[in-house]
Amino acid sequence: MKRTRARAALAATLVVAGGLTACSTASSTTDGTVTISIVEFQKSRIDSIKKVLPGFEAEMKKQGKDIKVTLVADVLTDDQFKTKLTQQLIAGEAPDVIDMGDSLVPGFAGAGYLTPLDDYLNEWDGWDHYFPQFKEAMVRQDGHIYALVHDTQVQNLFYRKDILTELGVDTSQPDTWEDLIARLVTLKEKTGGTPIVVPAGSAWGGSTWTEGFLPILGGTDTDFYSLETGKWDLESDGWAAVFDLYGELYAKDLLPVQDLENPNPWEPTKYVKFPAGEIQVAAQGTSGWKFDWGTNGAAPIPELETKVDTWQYPALQSGDKPFGWSGLGSSFAIPEKSQHKDEAMLLAQYLSSGEPLAEQLVTSGAASPRDDLADVKPYADEPKLLQAGEDLATSVYVPTGDGSEQIAQAVASATELIISGEADGAQAYAAFVEDATDLLGPNLVK
Amino acid sequence: MSSVTEMPVSAAAATRPLPKRRGRSNNRPLLLLLLGPAAVLIVLFIVGPALYGMYLSFTNTQLTGFAARDPKFVGLDNYVYLLNNADFLGSLGHTGEFVLYSAIIGQTVLGMLAAILLSRPWMRGKGIIGAAVLMPMIVPEVVASLTWASVLSNNSSGTLNQLTGIFGVPPTAWLQVVPMASIIVVNIWRGIAFAMIMFQAALEDVPVELIEAARIDGARAMQVFRHVTLPLIRGPVFLYLLLTTISTVGAFGLVYFLTQGGPGGQTQLAAIYIYERALQFSQVGIGSAASMILLVIVLVLGSVYLRLAKVEV
Repeated sequence: MKRTRARAALAATLVVAGGLTACSTASSTTDGTVTISIVEFQKSRIDSIKKVLPGFEAEMKKQGKDIKVTLVADVLTDDQFKTKLTQQLIAGEAPDVIDMGDSLVPGFAGAGYLTPLDDYLNEWDGWDHYFPQFKEAMVRQDGHIYALVHDTQVQNLFYRKDILTELGVDTSQPDTWEDLIARLVTLKEKTGGTPIVVPAGSAWGGSTWTEGFLPILGGTDTDFYSLETGKWDLESDGWAAVFDLYGELYAKDLLPVQDLENPNPWEPTKYVKFPAGEIQVAAQGTSGWKFDWGTNGAAPIPELETKVDTWQYPALQSGDKPFGWSGLGSSFAIPEKSQHKDEAMLLAQYLSSGEPLAEQLVTSGAASPRDDLADVKPYADEPKLLQAGEDLATSVYVPTGDGSEQIAQAVASATELIISGEADGAQAYAAFVEDATDLLGPNLVK
Repeated sequence: MSSVTEMPVSAAAATRPLPKRRGRSNNRPLLLLLLGPAAVLIVLFIVGPALYGMYLSFTNTQLTGFAARDPKFVGLDNYVYLLNNADFLGSLGHTGEFVLYSAIIGQTVLGMLAAILLSRPWMRGKGIIGAAVLMPMIVPEVVASLTWASVLSNNSSGTLNQLTGIFGVPPTAWLQVVPMASIIVVNIWRGIAFAMIMFQAALEDVPVELIEAARIDGARAMQVFRHVTLPLIRGPVFLYLLLTTISTVGAFGLVYFLTQGGPGGQTQLAAIYIYERALQFSQVGIGSAASMILLVIVLVLGSVYLRLAKVEV
């Protein structure tokens, strides 16, 4: 009897053990060859990385290192990528090199999922070529660098120069939002449409904060976050001013509200109506020249450079000046649990230098964070990107840290109240403060 | 017309005293062998995670940020936060509306109608109609989502807009103008087949002689259904309601694909709220507490259904 029970228990255990074994992953190292992996989640980046990876393997071979690279090509939206990557990092299953938007770095670094790169960078000669402002911006609130920025963006207002000219609307740089709103009202009267898209609401995910609200806030207020104390000042004057601006754009019926509430709001706005000229102004980073509206972009605009031009963000409050917002763009990070950190860093360094970097910058439409790329083709042949690189020197940037995801969430919810007509700017700001205070907890609020 | 209280033959058989079990102890090893693996898997993948989820709900666990390094026990804070949070309470309200209209009313009523129609001897083309009703259940969720995204597309090429365009109606963004109604229709479409199958099986158990007797007594079709058929299939009906309520409360994929909880949170069901909190905003503690609250609600609803199913007619 006992023996039968024991057999039954053994059978059950084997079934479970077999199942669990099937779930485990194999080691990536075989006979002296080290295989590392890199993940990309945007189609254009996947294509450009595919082109340059053989060069890395050949270069390593020359140096006597047998390193193979597996490209994990996973086309996802920003939010999907973040959700998936978070699970992989926790489980220790993330690829050895992660190409991610810089907005994800504070959260992952804070949680301890990423390897500090300081020692690697200090020993790398390429590090000397990084512009000082980016070196500074990469440092997180614990004093370490966790991700190597390889492309940067200047966020501006892209406008349809051809349409505005045809309609007789001034195309010079607007000095203030008041000037710009007057032009937008004229455009609305002449076209009957909603002339400007600025990311807002929940559907746009984290980009409502990083591409919509933050650039306007950073241009009028640099005190809303202190890297020194790691605290958010929710009473800093810029918050209310930006919520009021959103409220005014909504009240004057200048925003494509229904499109902003679409599950994929960038599609009807940036990929349909802006190319069609039905939306004439869009908040957009440098990638607009390539990734979004370039010849091989998501929604190509023929003769892009003659039809479209950029304005800097106008001044919002008294004493402000027009400005461009400098975004850190994308960076390479290495998981703390990676078994091949040294090899992964060699790949990150290779991809952040010379022609491999130039190739990626042109594909994604980004400016270089380094001072030695201006003559490297194909980047050297892209005047708009080179110009963006020069503009970076005068662009505004406010580094933020822990809690930026919670702030992004609270801003999305509060701007959602505005575009759904449930709140004006002041009410949305009040809702934001309440929500952000709840989400951040006492340690992150000033 | 008097109510009929006799049980169906199968139900009566189920209540007869069971013969004395022989050799019960001899079956134990076999039972252990057959049930053991399933029990281990249930403990590992259902009971264990549920208990861990309960533990997480009492902590401030986060997936990202410095707080992720040092989660702390916070007692009932997450529950207090959620029960005072308009978004969460709103998501429960949306879930209730979704379950009521799509599962309890839509799927049940239409599934019953389909089952009754297909059980009529005069009905022609049963195979085709049955296959058409079953189709939504057998297609994968992603395919179903893509199909409805195309049907409800906001541009003029959307199937529904093409149909309404015949009557001169301009294209409508259905998922934004009537988002809740849209996902209710989609869920009814998706779940009607399961209801039909369950009700068809139940209807086959109804003794024909009782129905004939009622007709001889002069009862009309509706009266026969109300006073004879329905009481006799009460058990399967409540079993279906229990199953569809549980699955609809947890509905996620189809709705998330179509609306992502929008616009303006109008279709943010509790499952979407939990997903966003726990995985998008990385607040696993709060997400777990929300899951526990939802679990309690489902358990209460399940108890009510089971109680109702046992009520004497």
